[in-house]
Amino acid sequence: MYFLYFDPGLGAMIVQAIVAAIAGFLLFSKNLIYKAKMFFGLVKEDDLFDDINIKDTDIENKDDGDE
Amino acid sequence: METNKQSHDSSFRDPSGYVFLDKTLVKRCINPIYFKQYFALKNQGFFDKLFKTGLLIKHEELSANESCVVIQPEQIPFITYPYEWSFNQYKAAALLTLKLQKYCLENNFSLKDASAFNVTFYKGHAVFIDTLSFDFYEENTPWRGYKQFITHFFGPLILAHYHGTQMLKLMSNFIDGIPIKMVSSMLPFKTKINPFLYSNIHLLAKFEDKHNEDYKGETKTSSLSLKGQLNIIESLYNNIKKLTLKEESEWGSYYNKTNYSDDAFKFKSNLINSWVLKLKIKTLIDIGGNDGTFVRFIDSKIEQALVCDIDNNAVDFNYTKIKTNKETHILPFVLDVLSPSPSVGFNNKERFSFLKRIKEFTPDVTLALAVIHHMSLSGNITFDMSAKFFASFSKYLIIEFPKRSDSWVERLLKTKGEFKEHFSFYNLESFENTYIRYFDIIEKQSIDNSERIMFLFKVKDV
Repeated sequence: MYFLYFDPGLGAMIVQAIVAAIAGFLLFSKNLIYKAKMFFGLVKEDDLFDDINIKDTDIENKDDGDE
Repeated sequence: METNKQSHDSSFRDPSGYVFLDKTLVKRCINPIYFKQYFALKNQGFFDKLFKTGLLIKHEELSANESCVVIQPEQIPFITYPYEWSFNQYKAAALLTLKLQKYCLENNFSLKDASAFNVTFYKGHAVFIDTLSFDFYEENTPWRGYKQFITHFFGPLILAHYHGTQMLKLMSNFIDGIPIKMVSSMLPFKTKINPFLYSNIHLLAKFEDKHNEDYKGETKTSSLSLKGQLNIIESLYNNIKKLTLKEESEWGSYYNKTNYSDDAFKFKSNLINSWVLKLKIKTLIDIGGNDGTFVRFIDSKIEQALVCDIDNNAVDFNYTKIKTNKETHILPFVLDVLSPSPSVGFNNKERFSFLKRIKEFTPDVTLALAVIHHMSLSGNITFDMSAKFFASFSKYLIIEFPKRSDSWVERLLKTKGEFKEHFSFYNLESFENTYIRYFDIIEKQSIDNSERIMFLFKVKDV
């Protein structure tokens, strides 16, 4: 059960199916382009922000200086 | 401790629990309605994982009975709000929220909301501070925080991308997020032919408009696969990560534009350093602190340095430095000293004004380097007003006074034209005579090769 203490927006709930389909298509095609760029060595990494995934190593190696 | 818990003024929306102050400590009471979620998060070790990744602020459980579980989070000395963040800070907060949602989904949980006020900056990082935002993931349900994410995060960011960082300040008027219709109307036409922007902004606005009168709640519940939801989150993440500002960084060459010689610059930073050392300062605020240059020159161990500036780009530059150097003691934020963040929300008490927060924080010293001429000459703030302001939140003040003959001052005065006479009060004598009504002078030192004087003041005992 969710506590609806704010309105998630009915339109926003419905539209997510379409947003997700478009996002899926874009991710798929961008992934292809990315792989092609990798192949030709054209990929630049952004070092200010990580990617979305949390790896197990993030948990183990996290510096806990304040502990 | 269990009795007389007065909930914090900004903690009333979510029935899962509330924040309260126990003397000066921030604590949280969890209501029975949220026990199931809380104990699942705790017993399955998900809280621990979140602490270890640094995504969620740490807490410890103090007591538990059948009516309330009390937890105490790690105390954050100074909270900044979304409308005080620079562009990349805003991005970091948005990315944190998406990262967290993805991680939640992988562990069978979900964020039930995505408010930008759930995030703040602490020890150099964005951190999630709403411990009760987690709920169980229900299969094939869309993300309930989606619209909130767009109106709190993606909307302001995409507006800033097209129209500049002033757009981020809109959040102080729209604490429930910038209306999606408004975001949609403010974006250029070409965003309608971009499938990503079209679907996340324009189409969302259309759907919201179409369904906003469904008061009967009869419309069928929508469904979305887990994969679908992950697609939305990942594409938002990738796009926000790449988002940049169009505006030129005016700040970039700031220190080339100053009228300092290298020697004067060095002299000034050494002087600040020696005064700070002598006073055994632990906390400070640098008002008009630019990218934190002078704070970084301080050798002694500062626990918390707040560095604020009116220029979003300067704050951004500071934030980038903090991230790159992994600094933990500097907290940068955007502040217009002529119009500091107000109190907003219900009863004007939901989000606190800058003044209320800084008075609670009471930094040991305030640095006001090269700001007094801007306050006096651009903002028409009298010396009496600025002295009263500076005397209201810290015990010591290190202030730099550029004399009338300083080139910056001359330039500012020139822009006044005939009105210039009105500013005849701007001189060293009148500055000193006014400030000693509120402060005692501890040190006074002119900077060689410049038209500037440094003062170390101590607030008069009341």
